[in-house]
Amino acid sequence: MKTKMDFPSINERKPDGQGDGGTPYKVLVVDDSMFVKKQISQILTSEGFEVVGTAGDGLEGLEKYKELYPDVDFVTMDITMPKMDGISSLEKIIEFDKDAKVIMVSALGKQDLVKKALMMGAKNYIVKPLDRVKVLERVLQSIK
Amino acid sequence: MRVEYINPFVEAAFDILKEVLGDDIQRGELYLKSTSQAVQGVAAFVGLAGNVEGRVLFDMSMETALAVASEMNGETLTELDDLGKATITELANMITAQAVTKLHDLGFTFDLTPPAIFTGENMEITDNEVEALIVPVIVKQGKIEINVAVRERT
Repeated sequence: MKTKMDFPSINERKPDGQGDGGTPYKVLVVDDSMFVKKQISQILTSEGFEVVGTAGDGLEGLEKYKELYPDVDFVTMDITMPKMDGISSLEKIIEFDKDAKVIMVSALGKQDLVKKALMMGAKNYIVKPLDRVKVLERVLQSIK
Repeated sequence: MRVEYINPFVEAAFDILKEVLGDDIQRGELYLKSTSQAVQGVAAFVGLAGNVEGRVLFDMSMETALAVASEMNGETLTELDDLGKATITELANMITAQAVTKLHDLGFTFDLTPPAIFTGENMEITDNEVEALIVPVIVKQGKIEINVAVRERT
């Protein structure tokens, strides 16, 4: 009897969220909205990424990044948040790790802040509402 | 109240609702109210302050709010818990952020408050000395009223 092992696995592909050798890319999700955090986490984990931490404001995001470093591959960062906004948090994360890969997440209408973030070293940005394809495309562009 | 204040909110609501809930969306008749108005079970409230001032309310029944939040989360929510409220808040956030971009392009400058969610029965809202313009938007999940009361600061 033939087993599954006897067939070539033409339909199987490595999920985009995993690097060479099948290790998942590790992400820290920073957003004050429980809904957005959940949405980003679901999109990324469905593609094999591993959410290693979440934070509800920029300050907590910075602290988590330092705590996780170097076991974190990239960060998704909301812009408008209490305590410390995403731009200040980005600045401090890059101060701590100049190679940090931070992707900004913003509603439409924050173009000036997004530009500022990109000038400061953010790798990319995603505009809400979040679309699965768009999120994965932007994330993969930023980490590869 | 000038109708040009409400159009950006209606356009933004159409864009965002289509994107998160699908294409099945219709606009009802715009109407004006200068007295107290009943508010349905769930209302997301955003304040505006600048050279125009006032507030925007996204108002819907509890059933509609639950259906909208369920659709946006891809799972059935049976009560408007923290996740459900965060979902409706985010919806209001996305719509207002887009509307504000359009209003800024028209030369109006103002700041927004973060959205607050009101829930309850038999609520009403009264805006002193400023009329409210209301546009009902009908989606598959029910009716969402966009209720804008804004005036120029004198």
